Amino acid sequence: MRLLLVEDDEMLALSLIRFLRSAGFAVDHVGSAQNARAMGLQEDYRAAVLDIGLPDGSGLEVLETWRQARSEVPVLLLTARGGWQDKVNGLKAGADDYLAKPFHAEELVARIQALIRRSEGRVHKVLQASGFELDEERKRVKTPEGAWHGLTGTEFRLLRCLMARPGRIFSKEELLEQLYNLDADPSHNVIEAYIRRLRRLIGRDSIKTLRGQGYVFDTTR
Amino acid sequence: MFSIRPGKVTHSLRTTLLWWLLPSAALFMGVAWLIHGMLLEQMSRDFVHERLHQEAEFLERQIRQTYPDFDAALLADSYFDEVSHHTFALRIGDRVAFSHPSRQDEFQPWLQNTRTSFLTIEEGQVGASFLAFRKAFEMAGEPIVIIVAEDYSLLANSQQELHLWTAVVSAALLLFLVLLILLAVHTALSPVKQLQRELGDLRAGARDRLSLDVPGEFEGLISELNRLLDTLDTRLERSRQGMANLSHSIKTPIAALVKILADRNTPVEGSLRDQMVSRLAGLDSQLEAEMHRSSFAGPQAGKTAAPEAQVREIVWMLGRLYENKQFHLETDLDQPRWPVEEHDFGELIGNVVDNAGKWAKSDVLVRLTQNQNDLVIEVEDDGPGVEPSARAALGSRGLRLDEQTEGHGLGLAIVRDIVESYNGHLLFSESRLGGLLVRISLPKA
Repeated sequence: MRLLLVEDDEMLALSLIRFLRSAGFAVDHVGSAQNARAMGLQEDYRAAVLDIGLPDGSGLEVLETWRQARSEVPVLLLTARGGWQDKVNGLKAGADDYLAKPFHAEELVARIQALIRRSEGRVHKVLQASGFELDEERKRVKTPEGAWHGLTGTEFRLLRCLMARPGRIFSKEELLEQLYNLDADPSHNVIEAYIRRLRRLIGRDSIKTLRGQGYVFDTTR
Repeated sequence: MFSIRPGKVTHSLRTTLLWWLLPSAALFMGVAWLIHGMLLEQMSRDFVHERLHQEAEFLERQIRQTYPDFDAALLADSYFDEVSHHTFALRIGDRVAFSHPSRQDEFQPWLQNTRTSFLTIEEGQVGASFLAFRKAFEMAGEPIVIIVAEDYSLLANSQQELHLWTAVVSAALLLFLVLLILLAVHTALSPVKQLQRELGDLRAGARDRLSLDVPGEFEGLISELNRLLDTLDTRLERSRQGMANLSHSIKTPIAALVKILADRNTPVEGSLRDQMVSRLAGLDSQLEAEMHRSSFAGPQAGKTAAPEAQVREIVWMLGRLYENKQFHLETDLDQPRWPVEEHDFGELIGNVVDNAGKWAKSDVLVRLTQNQNDLVIEVEDDGPGVEPSARAALGSRGLRLDEQTEGHGLGLAIVRDIVESYNGHLLFSESRLGGLLVRISLPKA
């Protein structure tokens, strides 16, 4: 399994390469953002380990370049900064996992293997309807204005249900089936609350209410 | 009122005050002066009228005594010479007499009317104007008309002179008032200058707080500034303290490790190697803890977080990291921004939701609400939960309920620290879902 390691600290890189090779990976190592950009797009890796703090740029920018070029390689970010906002920014840029330094090499290997398992047989599916894009892999939606919004599991399932068949009317009962049962008996109010929240997120007119019938993802925009 | 500097319109308090005060003072003076003129006019007219009235009555008495004879010399009396600016005209039936025959033509017509009243008689040639009183009565069926007049122009002239003098005095007063206003504005604004000076001293280290010896209007401002300085001091003190603690506690292990590595005769293996690794791991966790502690901003004016957007991002991210668990978000907020610094809020939510995600079987529920005084964050999971007896110790430093999960010992301790720094409350109880319910409430202000 080919793996790309982007890490500028020689000492850390050397020990990681040794460890990853013994775990059965064929490792290519680069130490700069510039090389990382090129290698990531030329070669076909099963996974990439990417350090955020590189001498000639940010790992996040490298990652964004890869993702814009439609590269779907699973990426694990390494960083010395463990703040939550850093993690969020990493995943928003398209990373799949995140590890703060210092870490045990065993944990790194376990995470990489989990990423590869997750990505196997994964078809990167994007639902499109009236200018909206639903990224099923990353559970997020892009509005026609071009902004991405992350979705929680339930929001994602509801929106996917509506967007999969734009123009079709879904009754509340049909939508309730999409909900995991948190309450003993989920009520219609729950659906209303979720629809309200989705509208706040992606625009008032994206989902229409048909009184007494249900909801419809609008295609007349 | 505004002076234009390149790319900036500045607006001076002083010019604004003067702009309003000076014209109104001038207007006030002008009106007072006009009213003074009108009153002066009124008063002198009243005075003249009164005198004419008296003289007419005096003449009437004379005439009544001598009637039906009439001595025209009466009007040529020395008394009338003395007051030459007075003119008299008299008609008894068809007989007429004048004190100044030269003015006969002007006065003649006025004698025909037999109504007692005050008149104003203009004398065309001389340009004099007379205030006059006509008194009419009858004796033995014969109409008698007396006119007593006084040349008003002299009086008017002196009155004008007086009025002019008043104007001069008013102008002087106005000037004085302007000076007073300038002085008042200057005095009122002097605390600003003082504040500027003190802030300069403060920066130069010549003083450590601003003095409260200012007018009441400035007291609030000054104490706010002093509070801000307190906050800065506290923060500086905290970070110094932290740095001192840190350097004290890591220097020893570093020295020991360097010593071992530098000594070529000591082979690094076996238990010594393990010891060195654990020493270094200890260093890292100390560094991490101190980093977290010093990176909290704590409550401060003007720093707010948009809770909904931030929580949404963190929940979405954890949903990606814990693929087989469901994260649910419920929000009911009418205050779009919370008085919590963004980084602090991120750490708070991130740690508490991550902790729930770690333990949950399948579901984590995050709820943001607010009540009268507090902003409330509730996070619950359907995991195994925590024994009531062990809940109090959650988040205490050094306690790790999750030894088996690597590198997360700090989470709830950080949460506890942040909640305390915002004077909030942290409560652990049992969730409806069966696991732990963490309830954080932060004061709204």
